[in-house]
Amino acid sequence: MAATIEDLAQAVFDGDSRKAKKLSQKLLDAGEAPLDIINQGLMGGMSEVGVQFKAGTMFVPDVMAAAEAMSAGVELVKPLIAHEDIQSLGTVYMCTVKADLHDIGKNLVIMMLEGAGFNVINGGVDVAPEKIVEDVKELHPDIIGMSALLTTTMLHMKDTIELLKEEGLRDQVKVIIGGAPVSQDFADEIAADGYSPDAVSAADLAKSLVGAA
Amino acid sequence: MIIIGEKINGFVPKTLEAIRAHDDEYIKYIAKAQADAGATYIDVCAGVEPEIEHETMKWLMDLVQEVTDTPLCIDSPDPQVVVDMIPYANEVGCLNSISLEGNKCDVILPAIAGTEWKVVALTCDDDGIPDDPKVKYEIAKKIMAKVDEYGVDHDNILFDPLVTTLGTNQQSFLNFIEAVELIKADFPDVHFTSGLSNISYGLPYRKAINMQFLSLAMAKGMDSAIMDPTSRDMLAAMFATDALLGNDSYCKNYLKGFRNNLFGPKKD
Repeated sequence: MAATIEDLAQAVFDGDSRKAKKLSQKLLDAGEAPLDIINQGLMGGMSEVGVQFKAGTMFVPDVMAAAEAMSAGVELVKPLIAHEDIQSLGTVYMCTVKADLHDIGKNLVIMMLEGAGFNVINGGVDVAPEKIVEDVKELHPDIIGMSALLTTTMLHMKDTIELLKEEGLRDQVKVIIGGAPVSQDFADEIAADGYSPDAVSAADLAKSLVGAA
Repeated sequence: MIIIGEKINGFVPKTLEAIRAHDDEYIKYIAKAQADAGATYIDVCAGVEPEIEHETMKWLMDLVQEVTDTPLCIDSPDPQVVVDMIPYANEVGCLNSISLEGNKCDVILPAIAGTEWKVVALTCDDDGIPDDPKVKYEIAKKIMAKVDEYGVDHDNILFDPLVTTLGTNQQSFLNFIEAVELIKADFPDVHFTSGLSNISYGLPYRKAINMQFLSLAMAKGMDSAIMDPTSRDMLAAMFATDALLGNDSYCKNYLKGFRNNLFGPKKD
């Protein structure tokens, strides 16, 4: 039986890496366009996982397994696409703010952003505003995503935005924030461009900020 | 078992709401409930902006001490706040926490040297929270060097080897246990605790994971937990495990807990 793009999306949805890889190869062999395999098959499956996660019917390990299955396929197919054809929605720089070591949420957001088609730079944890600004100058991300789990450290989000202003960089980059103590009110207060309560919404938010939603 | 009651923490949304609303009655209510359920210490963490942290901590501590003599576990990400709050405690309690982050050891350890204050020691440093048990162990060794330098009794150290979430790393429990074993081999007199609900983050029916984690970790030498003692299922798991491990002669604590209606079918 011939493999279909839908089967591939299902394999990603099921978090089945081996099957995702096998079906990606079969689809390539059958002459399916590599871009379609990625966008509709691999990312299509991931996007359904996002929907279910948001609805509370899928959970963190489901998301991780699906992300892994997606990567297994992408790895295989991506080298076959001419560099200029690889679509990226943009570059997101993700980090956990200064004095904060919590990275589970941040890493989930990274997975969802990659699944949505962004190029993501992982800045790590305990990243000072000065370092973020330095990285923005060097790496030119379209979006900065900051995470904080403590009410004490979330204030560094504000410091970062102020430093970006001082350095004249604020207009060049969008800033989105998240984490347990963070809220839309706080985002408004510090003039961030967006807030999201979970990893899937973060990817949707990033998409809307680059005009892709 | 050393139970640190975790409910009075500004990082818990419902508690933060009460703190913001200056809801004295709610704070007193959860303080009393945790004390009645057998908490050894009642954790107090304000989780508010640094400008109002001191006053908020003092207010919370006073409220708790109004309703119970159970000692406090003074908890803040800022080690100076922790130390500043010691004089407001009526009873000798526990501090939360030291780690290799910043100057935490150098601020907190001298303040408790020669006293009976206990302190929670987290196995993390400025690089983050390691998954690798060997890294946790190396951090613990460096913390213990500081503990000895300041002359703090090993019995007053409660190591929390920071369990990571099972949903994102399926080795997280095994890594935790390996860290406990490595640290215990070198420092047999220290205690082991865990803010254990972290392990079930992102999973449904978290209680199942938390209960089994508690039992399995206790079997491997964990003798303390940072948990909600008003959770009847968690208490049942704890008392039953302690009895199974031969720590409860004539099952006295298990029976007492049952008679006192701390777990099992709820009696009015």
